[in-house]
Amino acid sequence: MLAEQIRQDQIANDLANATTPGYKADRTAQREFGELLLTNRANGQGVGAQSTAVQVDRIETDFSPKPSRDTGEPLDFAIVGEGFFGVRTGEGVRYTRNGQFTVSPQGLLVTAAGDPVLGRGGRTVRVGEDGRVDPRALDVVLLDSPRKEGENLVTGTPAGAAGAGQVRAGALEASGADATRSMVDMIASLRAFEAGQRVIHTIDETLGKAATQVGSVTG
Amino acid sequence: MLEGLNSAAAGMAAQQQRIDAVANDLANANTTGYKHVRVGFSDLVYTQTGRSSAAGPQTGAGARTVDAGRGFAQGALQRTDQPLDVAIQGDGFIKVRLPDGRQALTRDGSLKLDNAGQLVTSSGAKVQPAITIPAGVNASEIAIGPDGTVLAAGRQVGRIELVTVRSPQQLQPVGDNAFLATPESGATRPAPAATILSQGALEMSNVDMADAMVAMIESQRAFQLTSKAIQTQDQMWEIANGVKR
Repeated sequence: MLAEQIRQDQIANDLANATTPGYKADRTAQREFGELLLTNRANGQGVGAQSTAVQVDRIETDFSPKPSRDTGEPLDFAIVGEGFFGVRTGEGVRYTRNGQFTVSPQGLLVTAAGDPVLGRGGRTVRVGEDGRVDPRALDVVLLDSPRKEGENLVTGTPAGAAGAGQVRAGALEASGADATRSMVDMIASLRAFEAGQRVIHTIDETLGKAATQVGSVTG
Repeated sequence: MLEGLNSAAAGMAAQQQRIDAVANDLANANTTGYKHVRVGFSDLVYTQTGRSSAAGPQTGAGARTVDAGRGFAQGALQRTDQPLDVAIQGDGFIKVRLPDGRQALTRDGSLKLDNAGQLVTSSGAKVQPAITIPAGVNASEIAIGPDGTVLAAGRQVGRIELVTVRSPQQLQPVGDNAFLATPESGATRPAPAATILSQGALEMSNVDMADAMVAMIESQRAFQLTSKAIQTQDQMWEIANGVKR
């Protein structure tokens, strides 16, 4: 039941980000707790393994590219294909696929949070006098083991730019949250949670019987 | 436990704000020189969940809206053939002084004359630097050139100066189609030479009705979906409550 709670939290977060550009959906992976080996007490023969429960192993993020949609805004960018934009934040270089950028007072291309976006060679990108940026000026890097950090940012180890996608201006990548899958997951998880409760009840009943009937003389 | 309730609520609040922004855009679909609001979204912090070790699973805390300023795409021009209507074509603003004395920027070029013969915007903000049309000049005798030069009965009486800022997205909207320059937007400076004024036309709102409707539908559905997450979490509380009969 605890594992299902975490899964519900993850689904709620996906749904809350159903319209966040460049958002990547999560998937909760569950695994069994340690198994108990049951043996026949009379002769020591193995009966089989019994699983004790499940726990959340990890939450995996699906970083696959999603379709982009046209916005017509000159400072909206989408990566068609794999890769991330580099962003210089207060905590070091971070990455994002949310290309909804703006201009700083100094004329640099920055994220909505005001962090400069990195171009080729790790340099900042200047916005032209016409308020536009050549999409080819933006750096797209591939990441090893990317991990979400919030505020649209991702951390990871850069792994070069070979095979990285193309940048398109005037478009944003759609959110990776899939409403249908989330709803199905939500229902399945709720029912699993309910089943967990039923199991507790059944065990409770069995124990109750054991306590009141097995030892009863009149029973 | 069940942090998802709060994540979903945060997501609903974000969609609500976007619907508010879209409603404002739609209400201004015919406002001269209006620029649509650019609503951004961002996910929130990710925290460790469950009783797992430090490398355990992380769940996010929902979403929030991000202010991405306005979209300053050019609006369509509409011919009005009014001599005091001007439309800015390209990047730039008319500098005005608001009735309360603040310097502001506007793209609303439906100008008129006040009782002293000065050029003012439709909301009464004076064009800066002040341009006074001499008494006795008929409105049809006023000519405004592409560079902003104002001729009254063939005599130059001033020039509408066009200015811009480095980061128009960071301008602060103050209503009446006016924006204030902020430290984030940068100081005003002359607009690029390519920006011209067209007399006898107005710049329409750049709100795209179809886009706004799609955004509204999308937000409404996302709002609905997220509310389902809250319902489900509520059911889970109920089931958990049912463990002890």
